[in-house]
Amino acid sequence: MPDWQERITHETAPAIRAEHDLRYRAAAPLIIQAGSWADLGCGNGLAAADALGARRPAHAVLVDVAEEAVERAAAELAMPGAARIVADLTDPAALAEIGGQLLALGGETFVTCFEVVEHLSSFLPLIQWAGTMASERGCTFFISVPNDEFWAIQNPHHLSAWGEGAFEELRRLLPAQHTLLRQVSLSGSALVGWDAPLERHSLEVEVGGPGTVATHFLAAFGPRHLEVARSALAVQSEMLEQRRWERERENDVAVSQRLAIEYREQLRQREIWFEEWRKYIHELERELNRPLSGAGENDLPDAEPSSSATGNAG
Amino acid sequence: MKVAFLVNDLALSGGVGVVAEHARRLAELDGWEVTLVLVRNQDEASWHGYEQLAQVSVRSRAQALEDHYDVAVATWWETTFTLFELSAERYAYFVQSLEDRFYRHDEAERMGAALTLDLPVAFITEASWIAQTLAALRPRASCFLVRNGIDKSVFPVLAEPSANDSGALRILIEGAPSSWFKHVHAAIDATSAMSEPRHVTVVTGDRAGLGTVAADEVLGPLNHREMAELYARSDVLVKLSSVEGMFGPPLEGFHRGATCLVTPVTGHEEYIRHGWNGLLTDWEDLRGTARQLDLLARDRTLLSFLRRNALETARGWPSWEQSSQFMAGALLAIRREPPPSGAEAAARLLADLRGGLETYHLHLRERAAYADRERRIRNRLKRLSSTTPIRQLLGLRRFGAVRLLAKPLSPILRRARKALA
Repeated sequence: MPDWQERITHETAPAIRAEHDLRYRAAAPLIIQAGSWADLGCGNGLAAADALGARRPAHAVLVDVAEEAVERAAAELAMPGAARIVADLTDPAALAEIGGQLLALGGETFVTCFEVVEHLSSFLPLIQWAGTMASERGCTFFISVPNDEFWAIQNPHHLSAWGEGAFEELRRLLPAQHTLLRQVSLSGSALVGWDAPLERHSLEVEVGGPGTVATHFLAAFGPRHLEVARSALAVQSEMLEQRRWERERENDVAVSQRLAIEYREQLRQREIWFEEWRKYIHELERELNRPLSGAGENDLPDAEPSSSATGNAG
Repeated sequence: MKVAFLVNDLALSGGVGVVAEHARRLAELDGWEVTLVLVRNQDEASWHGYEQLAQVSVRSRAQALEDHYDVAVATWWETTFTLFELSAERYAYFVQSLEDRFYRHDEAERMGAALTLDLPVAFITEASWIAQTLAALRPRASCFLVRNGIDKSVFPVLAEPSANDSGALRILIEGAPSSWFKHVHAAIDATSAMSEPRHVTVVTGDRAGLGTVAADEVLGPLNHREMAELYARSDVLVKLSSVEGMFGPPLEGFHRGATCLVTPVTGHEEYIRHGWNGLLTDWEDLRGTARQLDLLARDRTLLSFLRRNALETARGWPSWEQSSQFMAGALLAIRREPPPSGAEAAARLLADLRGGLETYHLHLRERAAYADRERRIRNRLKRLSSTTPIRQLLGLRRFGAVRLLAKPLSPILRRARKALA
């Protein structure tokens, strides 16, 4: 069974953490420079805290549908003075309240909204409100949605499905001036000293190009949309966990295949016995002048074995 | 928000069905008032298949003329004739296909349908390829993309495709046989050219247009739920259309675990990937199509691979709920934006009209030249028949023996007379 982790915690797999961290890192310069920053769907605030390091914006508005998440985010970010709003982002009144709070704080405003849209039963109020805030109130937005088309299974927490096509539909509803980004997955390797403690390396990777498949789609709009940073982040894989997952999967497949062969052989053997028994029983029934029991040679038996034998043509 | 969608009628069809879905869902939004305007005089209101439209107001053209709308939306090229008669703050055009392609080159409607794309309207379209074409044709016009959703309650995505590891390949062919661009008979012919065992089901609402065909089963008309059940019992949908808009049927099949074998028709590029979730076949390639079907019948691993990936594609496709949010967003944006420039549209329309007239003149000149040639041949024949030898020859017809001898020539003469007529 897949482990659906819709909130980032300290236990979240490193690769997933890296995806979230990277988005906040791309936003970090704008968050810090902004007079006020709102994080819609702030969750536990872990990725934002990692990306911002020791720096903090002047004011913050933390918004989530869960009160405990908002409180934890304020603690994680060490921003006890942050405004905390528990809100349903499908509600225009709640959005108006967030906008009011943000504008009241003053200064340049910047809003992050990562991996939220797909969880909303109706994303239109949020998109409408964001478009108005960007066009009329000088607010810059940075949003992301996942590429659901590349998942073989449906995420039960996603109330809308996103992919290249759906994102293009969304793009056409955004203010005309916007920046689009594709977030892509990385694979790699590193050489480290034999007994060395934690090392830090700079990487050079080639990314993008034709045929690039995104894990997530991002859009920035508003006056500073061009300033979102493009970057890459790699983290060490948890090989033990990865190996466990892969081996479990391989083992399950191997066991299933072996069982399938075993069952097929058993079935073949039983079909032979069954035919012998049928012939024998029918011979006896004929000798006793009884109607023939069971299913005919070319028929499938009833799903439930019948208590009283029914005659057939044999 | 007061919106009017203009439709010819409510006869059950793919295009009207899409408009009805949007209308129904928009009408459920707070503060939205949605009207379907029937621009043709109706003998009687046909509600067959649209029972779900209870919240949508349906009005005649005459009734709608008395109202005022925030946005009036044409949904088929002929409905644009009424569009600007309605009083509205903004005018939009929901383009579901490039409708000129529904007509052959010598049909007058072809130019009429093409010219409607020059009107001063904001566009909404359901397919990326149409959005790209409109961007090339009308680069300064607003164009919103609203892809059709799928009713996931009627076409729920199956967890697994229905098993068929050794039985005959279950082939489904769907479409209107009398539409020249659907090529339903070609699809049936391709299955007849197969060498592997197959079970062919044809679904159509037009049995008369279908005639007698080599199919194991002919069904229809079927409602959406019946189609969903049928897709779930099918391995592959064969569609050899040469004109499509968003190309919905293979996607509905994907939701129910059926892969597809299709021509590279417009709309396929939105979600069909050759060798991943379906197969593409070449235009008018009956033998190639049959060989690909034989391949699916023989290689059940490939068939299963395609069907599983079709289900994956279906999982990522939006529902009607999502699609109609985009429609609402597009209509709100159109209402917010300034209206398009009438002068620019008029210039474009007149330029295209001039181009169309030149083509029309060319056709007329060609036809006049043909008529002139025909007249000259006829006159020559007339002169020839009045010459003495021919007159004498024709005079021999009064003798019974000559008529008997000439009898074998009568089919040729009949054909020549028919051709000249």
